[in-house]
Amino acid sequence: MANNKIAIPAAAMIAIAAAWSGHASATSLSSDVVAEVAVETSAADVIKTMADQAMVELTDHTLADDVRREKFVSLMDRYFEMDVVSRFVLGRYWRTISNQEIEEFSVLLQNYLALNYANQFKEFNGEQFVVGDETQKNKDTFVDSQFVRPDGPPINIVWRMRMFDDSYKIIDVSIEGLSMGITQRDEFTSVIQQNNDDVGALTAALKAKTGL
Amino acid sequence: MLTACASTEPAQDTSDYDPLEPVNRVVHGVNGAVDFMVLYPAAMWYRDIAPQPVKTSVASFVRNINEPLNSFNALLQGDPDQAAASFQRFIMNSTIGLLGFNDVATDFGIPYRREDFGQTLAHYGIGGGPYIVLPLIGPSNLRDTTGIAVDYVANPLTWGAENSDTAEALYWGSLGLTALHTRYATINQLNELQKSSIDYYAALRSLYRQQRNTLIRNGAPAPASAVEDESASFDFDDAVEAASQ
Repeated sequence: MANNKIAIPAAAMIAIAAAWSGHASATSLSSDVVAEVAVETSAADVIKTMADQAMVELTDHTLADDVRREKFVSLMDRYFEMDVVSRFVLGRYWRTISNQEIEEFSVLLQNYLALNYANQFKEFNGEQFVVGDETQKNKDTFVDSQFVRPDGPPINIVWRMRMFDDSYKIIDVSIEGLSMGITQRDEFTSVIQQNNDDVGALTAALKAKTGL
Repeated sequence: MLTACASTEPAQDTSDYDPLEPVNRVVHGVNGAVDFMVLYPAAMWYRDIAPQPVKTSVASFVRNINEPLNSFNALLQGDPDQAAASFQRFIMNSTIGLLGFNDVATDFGIPYRREDFGQTLAHYGIGGGPYIVLPLIGPSNLRDTTGIAVDYVANPLTWGAENSDTAEALYWGSLGLTALHTRYATINQLNELQKSSIDYYAALRSLYRQQRNTLIRNGAPAPASAVEDESASFDFDDAVEAASQ
């Protein structure tokens, strides 16, 4: 009976890729809110732009898998603050490796995520991506969005964004209340812990997965 | 002890606490083997053979059989409106909905909400305590295991099963259907997670914790106070600070 408690999280893992695509045309954020933020581009606009771009670049059925993964990685480069994400998923272990190693880890992480999610874009058919409101909590702006499917209830996706050098970058994505960053951090730090606190064990596993 | 202190705020666990990890990993492994031999093939068969209307009816039935407990726990959480809604759903779906196989209540605008005794304890501020992988059932923790036991005792169907053969048949039938439906509903996602993860056990443990947090909040967004505090040891602020150094 307790198994269904993991049903939604698992579904969410799958949905993440889908979330990055879709038609971002459905609703638009109240322009008053945007004006108050007093930045050229609102956090919600960034998500819309990214979704449009993902839709154009990743859903093409004729694309080879490795090309799709490369495009996925460059989208992450552009819209995610990978330096922060990489350190976050390493937890306190980021201190045990050099800046150079963190950069290498970041590339591995992006390729690992691309491997897991990029292919989901192939199966796009009739889904819609709708961007909703923004909420400010402490230092971060949370952008609500929904992935609307023709055959099933919509999936709620929240983008956690923070301002870096006057532009919003994504630092986390939550699907139905499940944070991808936190899930990845909990898994990765467990792998490191299981291997006598050696980050090298994690990077080796990521290399094996991604073939890098 | 379930928790050090109880407060009026619903409990939100922000990090994994797994002192029984070696034992849990063994149980996790055994569960996986049993699943592979029994439940997984049954769920695959169900997925491929059963037509969609059957699956929809089974999903409704499985939710409906749980409604008395949903209502009971909503009441314990001081939410009589939700308790009434769950009870209404149960009456409507059990009668007009033909023993719960049709979810007519949702069509009437009364949505389903799951409430169990683990959530009730959390509602009164009791944290999850140590993570526990239960044999056959899977991810849980001390609080939610207590919840399962209380829900078992409080379930009218389990009293009925002691006195009536019909109720007993219904009880075992519903248990079997719940297991089948639940496994079917998660089959693609768990396959994917198992394939993509490096430490499947740890990924499930994290997802279980977060999923329970969401259920305890009844799906509401995390309050600002909980947002900055995902982990006692390392949060996003720490990561941003680390990156800027």
